[in-house]
Amino acid sequence: MSSRMVGAKDRGHWLIVGLLSLGLVTMLLPLWWMIGTSLKAVGAGLGGVADLFPWPLSLKNYRDILASGPFGRYFLNSAIVAVVVVAGNVLFSAMVGYAFARRRFPGKGPLWIGLLATLMVPKQVTMIPVYVLAAKFRLVDTYVALIAPFLVDAFNVFLMRSYIEQLPDDLEEAARVDGASEWRIFFRVVFPLTRPALAVVGINTFLVNWNNFLYPLILTSSDTMRTLPVGLALYAQGENSVSWGHLMAGSCLSTLPILAVFVIFQRHIIEGITAGAGK
Amino acid sequence: MRGPGRHGPSTFVFLLPWLFTFGIFALWPLLDSLWVSFTHYNPIQGPPRFTGLENYARLLKDPVFWTSLKITLIFVVGTIPLTTVGALLVALGLNRHLPMKALFRAGWFMPTIVSMVVVSLVFKNFYSPFGFLNAILKLVGLPGHAWLQDPNTALGAVMVMDVWAALGYYAVIFLAGLQAIPAELYEAAALDGGSGWRKHWHITLPLLNSTTLFILVINTIRSFQVFIEIFVMTRGGPLNSTLTTVYYLYDRAFNSFELGYASALAWALFAVTLGASLLYVRVLRHREAA
Repeated sequence: MSSRMVGAKDRGHWLIVGLLSLGLVTMLLPLWWMIGTSLKAVGAGLGGVADLFPWPLSLKNYRDILASGPFGRYFLNSAIVAVVVVAGNVLFSAMVGYAFARRRFPGKGPLWIGLLATLMVPKQVTMIPVYVLAAKFRLVDTYVALIAPFLVDAFNVFLMRSYIEQLPDDLEEAARVDGASEWRIFFRVVFPLTRPALAVVGINTFLVNWNNFLYPLILTSSDTMRTLPVGLALYAQGENSVSWGHLMAGSCLSTLPILAVFVIFQRHIIEGITAGAGK
Repeated sequence: MRGPGRHGPSTFVFLLPWLFTFGIFALWPLLDSLWVSFTHYNPIQGPPRFTGLENYARLLKDPVFWTSLKITLIFVVGTIPLTTVGALLVALGLNRHLPMKALFRAGWFMPTIVSMVVVSLVFKNFYSPFGFLNAILKLVGLPGHAWLQDPNTALGAVMVMDVWAALGYYAVIFLAGLQAIPAELYEAAALDGGSGWRKHWHITLPLLNSTTLFILVINTIRSFQVFIEIFVMTRGGPLNSTLTTVYYLYDRAFNSFELGYASALAWALFAVTLGASLLYVRVLRHREAA
């Protein structure tokens, strides 16, 4: 009797493993297709199942897009924007989070509510004034427009304040007694202690910014200032002349930095995603 | 001890970077957008001209707005239950003793790190008349279909893709919630003879309540803003069958330069989104209290 029940339980377990594996194949198939299509030189993208198994393997699509056309420029733009935005968020979210966690100042309560409120405001509400402002100051098609709106993300500040609040403050007080300046206390004492949280901030900022679309779309108008997602999306608009091989090679190259970050820092990414859920 | 400006820079300097971006890219645009929504504003013709409630009156009578709101609601109501229940089931599965556990989890999560533009490009090919999906269907003897060119299937095709792309993300959040549930609770239930599904119904679901609420709210906010998929795959067509509200207001603002009307559309959608979020909070808080 009991052994039969265990048998049924085992079957149930393997059924779940089977379903999960089937789901996993469904999850990975489109990505596999993307890679396969990019590695196929002739008839890429419309070859049906054959696109999954390109043969002979060819890097022609990659050579093509890197040798001519604006793709290299898209990549460079994305990289410049991502590096500056990540650096800005790492430094500034720590500074602002520190101020909210440790300092007393007039208007602290309302400002904190203002910060939380920005998490609720959708981009479609703010995008029109931001566009008009950028146009007025002739900032459309500049790195300033691509970078400045994202330099201090409210959610990152929220994470940093929570993290700094739960740090013991005796080291800061000791430094203060020793007569260290406020800058010195922040950079020498607080900043190094927040490294685990800053890793989460940096990595997630990179992921979000690398895939950012709406603002870069409206704040650029020339091919030389497009970022990767915008450049790829607009290239595909040329309905009939789309070369899927080239498009997928571009998609693969644009995914590569994300994939590298994911493989190296998976744990931090999960931490960043679940950070909001516990609250 | 910790007074502002004791020596060195005051607290103000620490706050300065955020005050700057908050003022310019959040607070001011919010107020300006509200003001512009009460004006007629085409930047080519000149500065905004106050027209009172005209834009909102037009919006109430604009059949395209109502169509876009209906399409957005179909998208939200159609995808969120699937994504939420699917993500919970996947998380329950991934929380078991699995062979190659880490690989399973990474694989399920993988689609969510790929940019929505790239995902949309891949699926645009999949759904095209000579694309991958039709090739597979032909292989098993089923007729193909121009999925994105048919007004009856275009929205559904985009919704299926959205569930595919979002599932892993919410599964990871559920998984973290599941791992926070103490194992003793399940052991106690097993002693009382609680079976698999009953144990999840009586222990897992109630304890995941705040996780579920969080997921529903962020997914609702995200889904009401659906834009990239539409921009890349259908541009609102065919015959407006995938014209979501954000795509419609983007089109009004950046193709027709009706910035006043587009701002009114943005605020209307914002109000609907807030209403939906508050509804969840009420329903799930009520469940918690009961």
